[in-house]
Parts: sequence; C-alpha cells; structure tokens
Amino acid sequence: MMNITQHNILQHELIGLQAEIGASTNNSMMGLCGAVVDETRNMLVIETERKNEKWIAKAGNTFIFELGGGVRVRVKGDRIVSRPEDRIKK
Amino acid sequence: MVKKRDRRIGDIALQRIVRLFELAEADARTDRRNRSDRYVQLARLIGMRYRVRIPSQLKMRFCKGCYSYLIPGKNARVRLRGEYITTTCLKCGQQMRRPYKAPRSPSARRK
Repeated sequence: MMNITQHNILQHELIGLQAEIGASTNNSMMGLCGAVVDETRNMLVIETERKNEKWIAKAGNTFIFELGGGVRVRVKGDRIVSRPEDRIKK
Repeated sequence: MVKKRDRRIGDIALQRIVRLFELAEADARTDRRNRSDRYVQLARLIGMRYRVRIPSQLKMRFCKGCYSYLIPGKNARVRLRGEYITTTCLKCGQQMRRPYKAPRSPSARRK
C-alpha cells in the first residue's frame, strides 16, 4: 500500500496535513500556516495556531504541504480546484 | 480484469477513507463533533464514488441513520442482546445490530 507522496498528493487526502501559503495573489495571506481541517470545491479551511479557521480559496494561491519525514511539497492551488471526492480521478 | 489504473484509484480511495476515519476519531475524542461527522461524510462520498467498501471495523463506527461518528459511552450505547450486538445512536436513536456468535452449523436439510 502506497502512502501519500509528492507524486500522488493531487489525488490524496489533504485534510490533516500541515499547510503553508507559499504564494498568493493576496499579500496579506502570505505565510499563513496551520492544519487543513476541511475542504470544499474551491476552498481549503486551515486552522491556525490560535485555533482560527481560515477559509482560503484554492485558486490563485500556492500551498506548501508538509508530508511525513520533513518532505515539503509545493502545490499550485489551481490544480486542486475540484470537489474532494472527485480529485482521485483527475 | 481490473485495469492497473482502476486498482490505483481504489487503493488511494481506501487510504483516504482510513485516514479520514483516523481524523474523525481524534476530533470526536476532543468533542469536535461537527468536524468528525464531516469526515465520515467525506469518507462515505469517496467510497460511493469509487465503489470502495468502507472496512467492516470502520463501518461499525458511524450511525447508519444520521452518519455521525460514534464513540461508545459518549454518543452510542452498546449492548449484547442474545446473538446480536446492538449499537444505539444516542443522537437519533437508530439501532444497528450485528451478529457476534459463530455462524450456526448448516442445518441437516441443506446437505
């Protein structure tokens, strides 16, 4: 059984991963980080350290996800715009 | 024959289901019900979309009526009733039964 890697992250579960915003069209969101707690077609919900839930549009942002073992993967948000259950087939 | 691509999709779907249930368990323990119920909903959606079964030990962990994540003692009551385990959801009252005795030996007629 293969686990989540940089090759299958586009199909895999994002909820539960630590995420950081690497690049954004909105400067004030740069560097925001926390755990992904929910996902919709267009949004990721990130819980920050202060337990605030931030709804962040996938489109227009670049996310850096932390996988186990110190692996960090940079993902363009435009590539994960789809419903969470539809993403495996893409 | 199952194609290689289909097998890969099924594999990832199953991993995602298991992962979502782990997260649901953690959140239910810390009383974040909305979140754990949402994870059950997502896991079910993935299972239905790719026709992957939810593993039987996880299937017992959510309510068949309202699909909330169940923790015995907190929002579920588990009782042994004769040949069945009955799990009652304390949110909606749904009762789920599951046999736990070894299957009876086949009757003499069915030889």
